[in-house]
Amino acid sequence: MSDFPYYSVLALLAVLIVAPALPGIANRTKSALTGRRGAPVLQLYRDLARLWRKGVVYSQTTTAIFRLGPIVLLAATLLAAALLPLDGRRALLSFPGDLVAFAGLLGLGRFGMALAAMDTGSSFEGMGASREVTVASFAEPALFLCFIVLVLATGRLDLTGMYGLPLHDAWPVAAPSLVLAAGSLFIVTLAETCRVPVDDPLTHLELTMIHEVMVLDHSGPDLALILYAGAVKMALFAALVAGVLLPRASQPPGVAIAALLLGLVVVAVAIGVVESVTSRLRMNRVPQLLIAASALAGFALILLLR
Amino acid sequence: MTLLALGLTLVLLAGAAARLLERRAGMADLAFRWGMLTGCLTGIAGAVQALGSPEAAAPTAGPGVWFGLDPLSAWFTVMFLGVGSTIAVYGTHYMARERPRRQVGSAHLLLAVLMIGLTGVVTARTIVAFLAAWEVMAISAWLLVIFDREHAEVRRAGLVYLVLTHTATIALFGMFAAWSGAIGGGTFADLATAALDDRTPVALVSTLGLIGFGIKAGVVPGHIWLPGAHAAAPSHISALLSGVMLKVGIYGLLRMVMLLGPPPVWWGWLVLLLGLGSAVLGVLWALAQHDLKRLLAYHSVENIGIILLGLGVGALGSAYNQPVVALLGVTGALLHSLNHSLFKSLLFFGAGAVQRVAGTREIDRLGGLARRMPRTAGAFLIASIAIVGLPPLNGFLSEWVIFRGLLEAGGTAGTLRLASVAAAGLVLAGALALACFSKLHGVVFLGVPRGTPEPARGADHGLVAPQLTLAAACIAIGVLPVLVLPTATRIAAGVLHEPDTAGVMSAVAGSATAISLATLVLLALGLMVWGLRAASRAREIVRSGTTWGCAFPSTTGRAQHTASSYAASLLSVFGPFSGSRQVMGPAGLAVHVADPVLDRLAQPTWDRVRETAFRLRRIQTGRIVWYLTYVIAALLGLLLYLWWGAAS
Repeated sequence: MSDFPYYSVLALLAVLIVAPALPGIANRTKSALTGRRGAPVLQLYRDLARLWRKGVVYSQTTTAIFRLGPIVLLAATLLAAALLPLDGRRALLSFPGDLVAFAGLLGLGRFGMALAAMDTGSSFEGMGASREVTVASFAEPALFLCFIVLVLATGRLDLTGMYGLPLHDAWPVAAPSLVLAAGSLFIVTLAETCRVPVDDPLTHLELTMIHEVMVLDHSGPDLALILYAGAVKMALFAALVAGVLLPRASQPPGVAIAALLLGLVVVAVAIGVVESVTSRLRMNRVPQLLIAASALAGFALILLLR
Repeated sequence: MTLLALGLTLVLLAGAAARLLERRAGMADLAFRWGMLTGCLTGIAGAVQALGSPEAAAPTAGPGVWFGLDPLSAWFTVMFLGVGSTIAVYGTHYMARERPRRQVGSAHLLLAVLMIGLTGVVTARTIVAFLAAWEVMAISAWLLVIFDREHAEVRRAGLVYLVLTHTATIALFGMFAAWSGAIGGGTFADLATAALDDRTPVALVSTLGLIGFGIKAGVVPGHIWLPGAHAAAPSHISALLSGVMLKVGIYGLLRMVMLLGPPPVWWGWLVLLLGLGSAVLGVLWALAQHDLKRLLAYHSVENIGIILLGLGVGALGSAYNQPVVALLGVTGALLHSLNHSLFKSLLFFGAGAVQRVAGTREIDRLGGLARRMPRTAGAFLIASIAIVGLPPLNGFLSEWVIFRGLLEAGGTAGTLRLASVAAAGLVLAGALALACFSKLHGVVFLGVPRGTPEPARGADHGLVAPQLTLAAACIAIGVLPVLVLPTATRIAAGVLHEPDTAGVMSAVAGSATAISLATLVLLALGLMVWGLRAASRAREIVRSGTTWGCAFPSTTGRAQHTASSYAASLLSVFGPFSGSRQVMGPAGLAVHVADPVLDRLAQPTWDRVRETAFRLRRIQTGRIVWYLTYVIAALLGLLLYLWWGAAS
């Protein structure tokens, strides 16, 4: 057992523990920049603890799918986390083409939540599910184009290789492409984590929500599962962005993990800055933003292919 | 081969028994169901033997000259007969209710004949046998499509199908004529040996083959027969058409590649682009549909596109001499053919059960059916997850293999790297499919019924067992890829004449283990989260209430989000490509759908042709004197032509 990936486990645990702080950091940045005091950074931990102790209300309309949705979402998100090489060396689970599984697992969680929303028979939640899958339809190709950039730059088909030493070696020759891909990944992060300019987690009107309105009927521990899965997903996407800009494979493991956590915080702050300086896009403009992200990744590809 | 022949004989006998015992319904059903089951299983037993062994040297006489089993034929035969057996069981129950009104026995006999025709196509070893089986298949399928022929739209769908299938046949006649004319021989063995020299007109043959087999498979723009025919036929026949018959086109392309040798580079790129177009456009057009079965039919177009992506990258890998890319692409195409036949048949079974229970296929009039038919809803959910290509089911496995082929292409040097961009298109198709099936399952099975409550029309009894069988197959292949992946890779190696497969085989086997492991971990994580959730205090304080309606609780099921509004925001992004038009009425949103190729291109063109022909009819006066004038004019014209030719 000498090659047991202790550091991968450590990094994964660190990310799972730190994840709920990230939305807090983003929100705190936003309130600081807009001259308000804002909620504490650790607010989400308190929310989760409180929700976990609460009771639940189930609509008479719902079936088992409504209860399964959050469980599938969290399980799929956790497995997706295990596919990322968070310590910069290796993932807990890795095989060629695991990037497809990463995207697929996030899709599985989304599918479960969209069905859970439809299960309530509420037109609000149907609308939320419809918007969520619409946004995802344009975010996923952009994400994948970024992955293809990494595949072409590193010559590896597994996330461990794409984010490992080969990426380190690719920087001197493919820097422009990698910068463009990181920019594209950041836009995808905004969309996948439901932040401004795609979605506003702080909006108060159901008609203008995307993700929040989809989970309108979930309460108590179910809602806690969803909120926690959302935080982990934000950490994963932040790790994707930070991993491109900050290849850590050549650092000692402890430094690599510290650098990862620093990277997560920086991305969260960046999200907060974006939220402060831009307003939300009109719903029918969102696909255009994401197509622009795809175009960015497309240019990165062309630079690599030339 | 003997077992297969025996099995097909049983299938034919079962069909004949169903027709002859028409008067005694119980006995006819019993004979048909068990005859088909034993026949199909016997045939599978025969084909499985051939799956592993390379074909023995072709005999020079006897029936072996006409029909034979090599691993490629066996793969498709097992698929056809396996799915066919569930279709026969489902069909027996499904058609039993039609008995007083219709000659159900004829439908059963035609189904048996169609099964034999399909198996004949994939086992044929000479051009004549192939084309004969092809026509048996095409005609019996047509008769089944127009089974409900008192409806005008069914007759139109049948006509479109008949025209298109014979266009395909003509293309195939042309292909085989050019091919065997150039090399002088009528068996596949002759064609294969001729591949070694330069006499084969490769460009002509591969183009005509792509047209003929592409129309049969439903590749855009040759798909126009498909949605109408699938929607018109009885549901178990839709499952057969979509799950099984489309694969004949894929088989044809694979066999052609196998006989021709490495295809030209342009052909590979063409197939890749056609696949990409079919995958994205198919799912986009599916998203706009209101009819449950038409929606599923357009998804067949999408899945054929995905298979073609695999085939295209395989052909490119072969043409650019990249064996790993080639093997992965063709393996993915083979696997996705199998997987699509399983989950698409399952979806059509579900659609048939929904029609039985709710009395309509109109998606926007359904809702809340999970309470009335929980087992069908569950099986439909499994098929939905599989067709979207989400882990851990079989759809993910085959799409993963194709993705891997495309990404491996990106790792090579030269032009082939461009193929990796197609992976982004495949992801787009997958994401749109997710939107489509969350809509479909959500609107049909979840929520509450829309509109007035339907009278109870019966249940899905007897229709469930075949669904559960197919669902179990989807799960088994997804969880244990090792069941099919090595076999498919070996067959792909045979198709590509690739002798050295050890490297790919070990790589694929390792990934198969990793995927199984990941599935187990996912299951464990799910159980863990479920356990944690069950341990929370909430289970003591569960309340039941109405759905939160933002202070305005809804009183009617009609206030739910409809399928049209679910898809509207996504469709509006694609504008005219979406095959639909949205109209905001005073009290609701209406989405008008039209097939962009059939209704906007083919039909208007044909109307123009017919108009012109009608205008030409004026010369048909019906009087002898005019016809004599035409004859003399033609004669004079010919004389002038001759004179002019001699003079110059």
